[in-house]
Amino acid sequence: MGIQEQYRSEAAALLSSGEVKLVIGFGAGSTADRRRPLFARTPEEAEKFVLDAACIANLSTYLVAEGLLSDGKKVGVFLKPDGIRSVNILISEAQLKPEQVVILGYAIENGKDVVPLEGCNISDFSIGEKIRSHTPPTHVIEAAEKIEAMSAEERFEFWKEEFAKCIKCYACRQVCPMCYCRRCIVDVNQPQWVSTSSHTLGNFEWNLVRAFHLAGRCAACGACDRACPVNIPLRLVNYRMGKEVRSAFDYVAGENSDQKPVLASFKQDDPETFIL
Amino acid sequence: MTRILLRNKLDDCIAAWQKAGFSVLAPVKRHEMSSFGEVQKSGDMALDLILTERTIKDQFFPQTEPLIKYKIGKQQIDSETMTPPEKKRVFFGVRPCDASGLAIDDPLFGWDYKDDYWFRRRDNSVIVTIACAQADDFCMCTSVKLSPDSAKGADVLLRPLLEGSGWQIEVFTERGKALLEIVSSLLLEGNGHTFPLPQVPEKFDLEKVMAWLGDKENFESQFWKDIALRCVGCGSCTFLCPTCHCFDIQDEGDTYQGIRRKNWDSCSFALFTMHTSGHNPRNTQSTRWRQRIMHKFNYYRGKFGVNSCSGCGRCTRQCPVDMGITETLQAITNLPR
Repeated sequence: MGIQEQYRSEAAALLSSGEVKLVIGFGAGSTADRRRPLFARTPEEAEKFVLDAACIANLSTYLVAEGLLSDGKKVGVFLKPDGIRSVNILISEAQLKPEQVVILGYAIENGKDVVPLEGCNISDFSIGEKIRSHTPPTHVIEAAEKIEAMSAEERFEFWKEEFAKCIKCYACRQVCPMCYCRRCIVDVNQPQWVSTSSHTLGNFEWNLVRAFHLAGRCAACGACDRACPVNIPLRLVNYRMGKEVRSAFDYVAGENSDQKPVLASFKQDDPETFIL
Repeated sequence: MTRILLRNKLDDCIAAWQKAGFSVLAPVKRHEMSSFGEVQKSGDMALDLILTERTIKDQFFPQTEPLIKYKIGKQQIDSETMTPPEKKRVFFGVRPCDASGLAIDDPLFGWDYKDDYWFRRRDNSVIVTIACAQADDFCMCTSVKLSPDSAKGADVLLRPLLEGSGWQIEVFTERGKALLEIVSSLLLEGNGHTFPLPQVPEKFDLEKVMAWLGDKENFESQFWKDIALRCVGCGSCTFLCPTCHCFDIQDEGDTYQGIRRKNWDSCSFALFTMHTSGHNPRNTQSTRWRQRIMHKFNYYRGKFGVNSCSGCGRCTRQCPVDMGITETLQAITNLPR
């Protein structure tokens, strides 16, 4: 039995036993190479799940959808390591209760082979070592190094041109599992704290606010980057912030769910190089 | 006898139009994104794209537009109205769906109040549409009763010649005629074989959809909750739509001076309908998605006699969770009656 059939029947079993109220996975998309999130509430619907190397989206973002888990019932979800990492972060930030999420874990190897990850509760997955030693795709590292090699002026020009494309559709925010604020700072409008205008300054404001808010919290799933309709290389921003946090605090977000959020906790031996 | 514009005369045309006071805008690909931008020569144009990622709408209704500069003094308030640039523009290589989008939005911007910002730009612009030679899986113009060679919204329609050497010209308006007058010495008389139009299959039954949407019984249908479940609530479909036109007015500045701006807004956002009290009449994503579909295929038609969709397919093409108008209307078409 292939992994797709195996996971279909596991999802169906979870639904028919009543253990979960819903399983979030992937279904066929509008073209042959597309997959779309699929929500199954019955074992029959679980038969429509697709699991292959095109299932790259991080579905953990739906776990923080308003009202989804407020009834205390469990939800099953198909997750890759980056999704499991996201769940770790969400638990450590008290946004999820570990017992409410049943994980159907899988990994995509060499960009084509889908293999199961053993376990169903978040504590079953020890991904810490993997995350620490994980290196992003070569093109990401190369692009990041290219930007780091620039002078401050060149770098500013680079991002100015990239952010000039931004239309403030907030797709980056909406697909991000870490952007779970019920009212984002840019939506606080009594008074309007951050300009809604999508001009150079407004676009910088938005993208910098998001970068700061994701520092030490990003699961590096790349969802923002893929969602951006104007192709801003957003993952480079978060990659850099992750690097900063790691070098300052030796902290990698989402290693496990017991981690304390790095910027919301204090250790006596934290470096204080920023204090003159 | 029709006339032909040869590709190798395009640079001369651009120069002639520029000399006559026009800016020339065309599809361009810059910084990994395609949109309409000013060009100086034909080599700057990306005419082979099926469709630019950004729509031509941006050039008439920009994402942020300054309206008024104001200054509040002790005894008086000074304000200065800001107007869009007056320069004449040629849009070369517009796709039929994008040009149609402009025509669809005209009645909206001229309805109870004539939006000067839109119409000044419209009046200063000549639209040269190029009929499509190719389509992708997301194109759906035929489903909304348009076509890959629709002349809606166009002043001039060009049909690509089979051998790729140029375009056959059709003129529809006085404005288009005047534009071609400028380059008349560069055009050839003659008929060429034009490129066959791409097959764009009809993806849904528009009549059926409109009837279902018009039935008040269906407003509270479970259908909306099911179809919108995966919508993450971003504004990418609305902001990339050639006909979505909602905006917000914002004052930007401090207590004493600032700029009043007209900024894009989206019915996908929770904040769009949030009342000052905190009450939100569209408090779930399903009610927002329903609004978008209803507005396009029911309310807009009721008011202006035309659907607010030109079938470009960008909503689905760019959607992070693979949903858009096509599959929603397909699902409505297939609902048990």
